Amino acid sequence: MTDNSKNITSEYHVASLIAYCILTEVEKVKLAITNIERTEIHAINEQGKIVFTIEGTSHKDIGKKMDIIRVHSGILNLSPVYHQVLDESADNDAIE
Amino acid sequence: MKNLNLASITGLTVLVLALLFSSFIASAADKSEINTLATLRDHTEITEQKEPVRIPNVVNKDIKQKRNYPMQPPVIPHTTRSYEVNMNNNKCLSCHSRQRTEESQAPMVSVTHFMNRDGNFLAEISPRRYFCNQCHVTQVDAEPLVENTFTDMHSLMKKKVTSAEND
Amino acid sequence: MTINRRQFIKANAVAAAAAVAGVTIPATASNLITSSDITKLKWDKAACRFCGTGCSVNVGVMDGKVVATHGDIKSPVNKGLSCVKGYFLSKIMYGKDRLTTPLLRMTNGKYDKEGEFTPVSWDKAFDIMAEKAKAALKKDGPKAVGMFGSGQWTVQEGYAALKLMKAGFRTNNIDPNARHCMASAVGGFMRTFGIDEPMGCYDDLEAADAFVLWGSNMAEMHPILWTRLTDRRLSAPHVKVAVLSTFEHRSFDLADNGMIFTPQTDLAILNYIAHYIIETGRVNKDFVNKHTNFRLGETDIGYGLRPEHPLEQKAKNNGKTAGSSTPIDFDEYAKFVSTYTLEYTSKLSGVPEHKLEALAELYADPKIKVTSFWTMGFNQHTRGVWANNLVYNIHLLTGKISTPGNSPFSLTGQPSACGTAREVGTFSHRLPADMVVSNPKHRAIAEKIWDLPEGTIPATPGYHAVLQNRMLKDGKLNFYWVQCNNNMQAAANINEEAYPGYRNPKNFIVVSDPYPTVTAQAADLILPTAMWVEKEGVYGNAERRTQSWYQMVEAPKGAKSDLWQLVEFSKRFKVEDVWSEELIAKKPSVRGKTLFDVLYKTASLEKFALDEIPEDRLNDESRDFGFYIQKGLFEEYASFGRGHAHDLAPYDRYHQERGLRWPVVNGKETKWRFKEGSDPYVKPGSGWDFYGKKDGRAIIFALPYEPAAESPDEEYDLWLSTGRVLEHWHSGSMTQRVPELYKAMPDALVYMHPDDAKARNMRRGDLVKLISRRGEVQTRVETRGRNKPPRGLVFMPWFDASRLVNKVTLDATDPLSKETDYKKCAIKIVKV
Repeated sequence: MTDNSKNITSEYHVASLIAYCILTEVEKVKLAITNIERTEIHAINEQGKIVFTIEGTSHKDIGKKMDIIRVHSGILNLSPVYHQVLDESADNDAIE
Repeated sequence: MKNLNLASITGLTVLVLALLFSSFIASAADKSEINTLATLRDHTEITEQKEPVRIPNVVNKDIKQKRNYPMQPPVIPHTTRSYEVNMNNNKCLSCHSRQRTEESQAPMVSVTHFMNRDGNFLAEISPRRYFCNQCHVTQVDAEPLVENTFTDMHSLMKKKVTSAEND
Repeated sequence: MTINRRQFIKANAVAAAAAVAGVTIPATASNLITSSDITKLKWDKAACRFCGTGCSVNVGVMDGKVVATHGDIKSPVNKGLSCVKGYFLSKIMYGKDRLTTPLLRMTNGKYDKEGEFTPVSWDKAFDIMAEKAKAALKKDGPKAVGMFGSGQWTVQEGYAALKLMKAGFRTNNIDPNARHCMASAVGGFMRTFGIDEPMGCYDDLEAADAFVLWGSNMAEMHPILWTRLTDRRLSAPHVKVAVLSTFEHRSFDLADNGMIFTPQTDLAILNYIAHYIIETGRVNKDFVNKHTNFRLGETDIGYGLRPEHPLEQKAKNNGKTAGSSTPIDFDEYAKFVSTYTLEYTSKLSGVPEHKLEALAELYADPKIKVTSFWTMGFNQHTRGVWANNLVYNIHLLTGKISTPGNSPFSLTGQPSACGTAREVGTFSHRLPADMVVSNPKHRAIAEKIWDLPEGTIPATPGYHAVLQNRMLKDGKLNFYWVQCNNNMQAAANINEEAYPGYRNPKNFIVVSDPYPTVTAQAADLILPTAMWVEKEGVYGNAERRTQSWYQMVEAPKGAKSDLWQLVEFSKRFKVEDVWSEELIAKKPSVRGKTLFDVLYKTASLEKFALDEIPEDRLNDESRDFGFYIQKGLFEEYASFGRGHAHDLAPYDRYHQERGLRWPVVNGKETKWRFKEGSDPYVKPGSGWDFYGKKDGRAIIFALPYEPAAESPDEEYDLWLSTGRVLEHWHSGSMTQRVPELYKAMPDALVYMHPDDAKARNMRRGDLVKLISRRGEVQTRVETRGRNKPPRGLVFMPWFDASRLVNKVTLDATDPLSKETDYKKCAIKIVKV
């Protein structure tokens, strides 16, 4: 257990989110999202919902990126849907 | 060190399995086919009872288990004996809450747990998620009575990728 | 490797978000195992397979296999949550011992009651079944055949079974396992309100100021409703939770007022609360005067045991009049409950006076909106109907009913105990939409809808669940078909009744199940059965919500759904085989036809053609029978209730919605029944209208405390209560085959007070024997588990097929509801 603590950077995090945007602001929100490192937009529908992912190395990393996006004035609501962590430390692989 | 431990655990498991398997063969051989149906009763007649096994220990190795699919709540890899989760106290959160994970190095509760019923994000964990043991359970050190043939979607996809490459 | 795994979980993340947003992902956007036909995961909604909460789940299918399940975020019931069982739904169909061929007990190629299970074809299985059914019918008539079904049948399966038994074989010997679970609740509703099922709905959970749990461990048995209750309690600090039980369990973790009472004294506590409300002048007189009547119920009604049992010999009113009552006025009622003083009730129940007062005040205070929840603590009770009546009394006295947060709420155990057992009426005395076989008008309505001659449906109620086992043992019920339940594990007193009944050489027992259960082990013929999303179906949950799902995967080759089995079997019978010449003469057009033609391949069902099924959808039964049979059965069934306060929406709408709460009138569901403004059936200007009763008034019943059938004595010195656990559904036939659930709760232990253990020189983990007058079971002692019984009572769950606690329990029932009391019998425990 204690071994793992040193290997924080060996985690891969991915979170998927939905941004509900003001329709006229969708383009601006898109830009705001893609300006952030390791984000990807996967789909946008005509109601102004943007489905995107944030990848990162820690909970904090994901949270920080999320906070930057959340405050964008074109976003009515930002809903995180899913978050998974992949522990890529050597130990973990050995188990599998 | 860890790898060594693992190796010895694996060795033990193999041994136990071998023992189980041989006893199964023995009992199946001397019982009539009628009883081989009773898979959860270890092939015992309804009028009889097999001696109940000892209470197994809760697995307490702190080794994460693979999830069957991404949305599955992870099982608890440690004992939770005398953990209080009531109105005054939630022992689980003393390690797994966002504020405590740096200290504890335990996984933080998933971000979904911050959403209320209407899907809005709260500053704290939603009270609807307060009782952790409704979804997260400990595991005892026991062999399942019946094998489960559930297929991991990843293995299905991998199979297809491999067959596509071979084509 | 790592890259693949990253891509993989990222794809899942995208898929989850896309599903929530209702957005389709263009193929190019998923950047992992890139070919979309490889990664394609088809998501669809289904009702959870387990409890009466009725969560909606999303089921992920890939290559014909269920690979994932999670809570449906669009469902108003669970809003994205599942309990641990719900999360593992994806594995319940994949136990390695799934049955895939019929198995018949045979010796030397021939059926033999003492033979060994041998694989046979479906044809051969139906041959012997038809032969045995016809022989039983010929010898002793329709009374000799019977069926035991389930609150886990789909609505269509229950309806098809009802038709086959009541109209086809002309026997009322059909009962569901819901008899063990909800019959007392039904009895309570019918007696107090004249119409079945709760008036309130789950929205009460967000509206109430106080919750009272009466014999309901929601934390384990209705986990998702518990999350809503927890949410309410913790986010609104003024909310209070009171929990009553005969032992401490997980729901006490949230209790402001937790109360342990002596078994059976809940009856006295309920009467004390009524007395308190009257004594402190808090009766809602206006409501009581306008909307209620008072009646004095019959007492000393026995315990539903065999007639020769000493307790039945002693009981004065255990005959037909047990449910009768006489009108009284408010003063007479007030006098009746005045004997239940605080002092007397506290002494009898063992609950401290201040706790009882605090509980009573929740009901009495007109400013507190109070919701009462109960499940098996009330229902599995030799005075279960009374307990239900008595809790309605206190809600009626205060007018705290049918408005948001004011709700006496009977929780259902099974996923479709309401939908299939109660609404369809698969009981020995019932017909759809709350009608009963003993009423000639009701029979006439059913015969008209079914287009059958007058007099087809027999007028006398058939054998109920407990009586079925007794009649099997007595050799009077000779052809018996069990579907979708595990009664050799679930029924009380299996040692003396069920097991000798199934193995009685006079009887032929058929058991349909996906897995080799204890019941299957006791059968003569086992039919391999398709389950859950291997078929299309409809379930109805505890808040009157009707939900449907499509077939999503194929069943293992050889396994067939209960619906297919029922309908296919009907082809084996000519009308002449089962009906009298006299009946046939009333409708000569049926001559020469099979029961399949007369009951299922009818104009009313056949008009729903195969092209109504979306092309990309599986539907094995319909494509086999040649018409959309699930829709046909549903629509015909729905015609019973439409316009009669049981209205269901058109079938197709259920495929779109996350369920709707009936009555659905003008396309709108009903949240609170009997209240003007929210229930379209209420007479305008009435305020409240309990229209189940002719005068629109609900009944407040004067009913006393009476002791339990069996209480501890010198020799059998402990109470035994049985029940469920969170991780396993009922008898564990599905959940024990999921390794994670098995490992979470592998064996049924006996939960005991440490001092009780010490007094018997026992320690945690010791091997012990629980012994009653009827049988014994071995298990191990648990003194520090999640359940903490008081001294003098032990708890043992019944999910464990290898430790059959029902060898010990007593088959005493509520004489009114015929539901067994699984919560009280006397045992002793000895070390092995």
